Amino acid sequence: MNWKVMLLIPVALFITTVGCKKKDNNPDNNNNNSFDRGALLTNYADNYIIPAYSDMTQKLTELKSKIDEFATAPDSSKLAAARTTWQTAYITWQSVDLLEFGPEASLSLRNYINTFPVTVSKLDANITSGSYDLEQFGNKDAQGFPAIEYLLSGIASTNAAVIGYYTTDAQATARKQYLQALAAKMLSKVSDVKSAWNTYRNTYISSTGTDAGSSISLTTNAFVQYYERFLRSGKIGLPVGAMTGVAAPTLTEAYYTPTLSKELAVAAMNAFKNFYNGKGYNNNTDGMGFNDYLMAVGTKDQTGKAMATVINDDLSSATSSLGAYPTTIKDGVINKRSELLAIYEQLQSIVPLLKVDMVSAFGISITYTDNDGD
Amino acid sequence: MTNSIKLRSKTLEQPVYSAALAVFRLIFGLMLFGGVVRFWLKGWIEELYILPKHYFHYYGFEWVPHLGNGTYLLFLICGLSALCFALGLFYRLSSILLFLSFTYIELLDKTNYLNHYYFVTLVLLLMIWLPANTNLAIDNIIKPATQKRWVPAWTVWSIRLMLFIVYFYAGLAKLNSDWLLEAMPLRLWLPAKNDLPIFGSLLNEVWVAYLFSWFGAFYDLTVPFFLLYRPTRPYAFVAVIVFHVATSVLFPIGLFPYIMILSAVIFFDDKDIDVLVLKCKNYFTILPVDSGSDMFTFAPKLRYVRLYAFAVFFVIQVLFPWRYLLYPGELFWTEEGYRFSWRVMLMEKTGYAQFVVKDAETGNTIGVNNNDFLTRNQEKMMSTQPDFLLQYAKILYIHYQQMGIKDPKVFATVYVGMNGRRSRLFIDSSVNLAKERDLFRHKTWIIDYKDKIYGL
Repeated sequence: MNWKVMLLIPVALFITTVGCKKKDNNPDNNNNNSFDRGALLTNYADNYIIPAYSDMTQKLTELKSKIDEFATAPDSSKLAAARTTWQTAYITWQSVDLLEFGPEASLSLRNYINTFPVTVSKLDANITSGSYDLEQFGNKDAQGFPAIEYLLSGIASTNAAVIGYYTTDAQATARKQYLQALAAKMLSKVSDVKSAWNTYRNTYISSTGTDAGSSISLTTNAFVQYYERFLRSGKIGLPVGAMTGVAAPTLTEAYYTPTLSKELAVAAMNAFKNFYNGKGYNNNTDGMGFNDYLMAVGTKDQTGKAMATVINDDLSSATSSLGAYPTTIKDGVINKRSELLAIYEQLQSIVPLLKVDMVSAFGISITYTDNDGD
Repeated sequence: MTNSIKLRSKTLEQPVYSAALAVFRLIFGLMLFGGVVRFWLKGWIEELYILPKHYFHYYGFEWVPHLGNGTYLLFLICGLSALCFALGLFYRLSSILLFLSFTYIELLDKTNYLNHYYFVTLVLLLMIWLPANTNLAIDNIIKPATQKRWVPAWTVWSIRLMLFIVYFYAGLAKLNSDWLLEAMPLRLWLPAKNDLPIFGSLLNEVWVAYLFSWFGAFYDLTVPFFLLYRPTRPYAFVAVIVFHVATSVLFPIGLFPYIMILSAVIFFDDKDIDVLVLKCKNYFTILPVDSGSDMFTFAPKLRYVRLYAFAVFFVIQVLFPWRYLLYPGELFWTEEGYRFSWRVMLMEKTGYAQFVVKDAETGNTIGVNNNDFLTRNQEKMMSTQPDFLLQYAKILYIHYQQMGIKDPKVFATVYVGMNGRRSRLFIDSSVNLAKERDLFRHKTWIIDYKDKIYGL
């Protein structure tokens, strides 16, 4: 056969195939996946990340000033004010925690801000010795929100007793200094990340590729890892003992403020879902997010439902299950265990959707080494 | 010996210009030398072969020892022998050392398996037995008697045949419904490159994914023929260059495109190459280029042994990729018989594996963080391939035994997504993987794949 004729056969077959291709539950042919990753990154940087760090800085500035006021003249109203601002700032942190990439990752912010449980013995030793370096990695479990929580709420059960630790106690002065140092450290850490973002922003939005070091890869990996390790496991899985089968209430976030733990988890879920959907941090405007990227790639489940929608819906229903959970997480891990395990299962079922379905649809490389696509 | 064998062996032993083999040797050796330097400079020796805490061995090669910092020495030997190989210096020794060191590196961790590394291993194995130092080699300066103008035809043809198999089988592997009818996985991979200049926006188009898929299959199946046929050869070689440069822009496949481009030189007419090197000698008189008329002959005793050994080698090469037919289940899903079969760029496969270790005595359960044991790349490979899952389970078993658990049970919940389909459960989560053995038998604990992928 003449080779020109041989050439024609596949061309003809090709045209026939593409022409006759029927619609099914695979990616949509009509969908033009001309997705602009630059626009996605710009939306994330300008409408979520930068406003989030501004807000966090503001909340921590407030916390620092309330703590300074309390330390200057400890009384129960100043204690209450400090606790309230601590709580507000902690809830705000739930919207920032998922951003551990870029400057936040290089400063390992999460470790300094929210390592829990706090190690009380280490904290006490720091107060007693008076010489400590909060920048030291070994001190990460003696600072941040959990350490401040312990000092404001966990140290004693009544307000009067707490205040006693800052007035009549032998270590009162040292303790006040430590408390103030903690607030100052958090503020300075977050401020560092905030100002780093001002310069990092342009690098971030201009890295539009999909290789291992690209912004989309860093953001996705941080996002997915946060969900698995710090949201699913950190907030629910570890305290309920989903894998060990043994409840560990001391691992609960906000251990000394049990009523807050569920609220923090719900706030984290909401923030996670908003980020996924590309919502703005302040105005909730729907911008370009992971959901739009996934929609553009067009992968679907067996029933023809877009994976972008599947993920959103599952996140919503897990969030509402969590919101409807009738007790605190600290008590619930023992008293309402099976309900909490059911919620954990719901959270868990989203992990493969994120780690497998979303990541593979984005076509992101995870390493720089060569591959030949298996 | 019968007449027919004599006749056939006559065709196989027709003289062809040794320059063809020599130039291929030079190019291939330099390329491997460059590959070793690249690997070294990128810090991959440390990243892939020194830093990992555990390694995934090939079946039957569990005994291959890891060298720690000695791995650098291994790469040094590999690089130097590649250079000597290229220059034709102590060819027999350098070709053996190159084959052994390169293969050793490949055997260290199957995480890093790439089809083109396997190709290199096979070519090097062949090259040991070929008289590739009979021209354009320093050996010819040291010992002029080694220089010959002619070599038996089969020596050149064996390399051509190897390349032919690679291309043709890679093409056959593309004849499946995912590749041709769904344009998968290119439909996922191409838009990921839509920020490339000029052509970027085209990569968003679904028809482009179809075009690339179909052209890719057509190319792989036909290019060896077009390269063999003299009138089409120049066009085919241009196609080789364009195709592989395009793939190197689009995909992180490292050296592979260049290996294929440069290896295709073996398809050139041996006479043309002879003329070319003689011309080169006009400019660089120092080059050891033969203009005589001696023919290289193998020692008569081993002549046929060698020929039959090559025949057996190629029969194995032709049959081995079909071994997947002996397994039940979907090849892409189970990957039983997937490796060493020239299946390149066929799947977007991603997995997620959550291992738990149970102490049978106390009932305690531990959730495993894979990052404590594996590198990201190892984790990626482990999460989608059953033999990796088993080996990882063994790693965990030994680790937790050392931690004091008498008989750790290892279970895994694994989700795998393939070519754009929604992720689903990959293996039976209730099977104690620590007790399963990695055999050539079908692994019954893999959950059947519900979808059918048609084709080869």
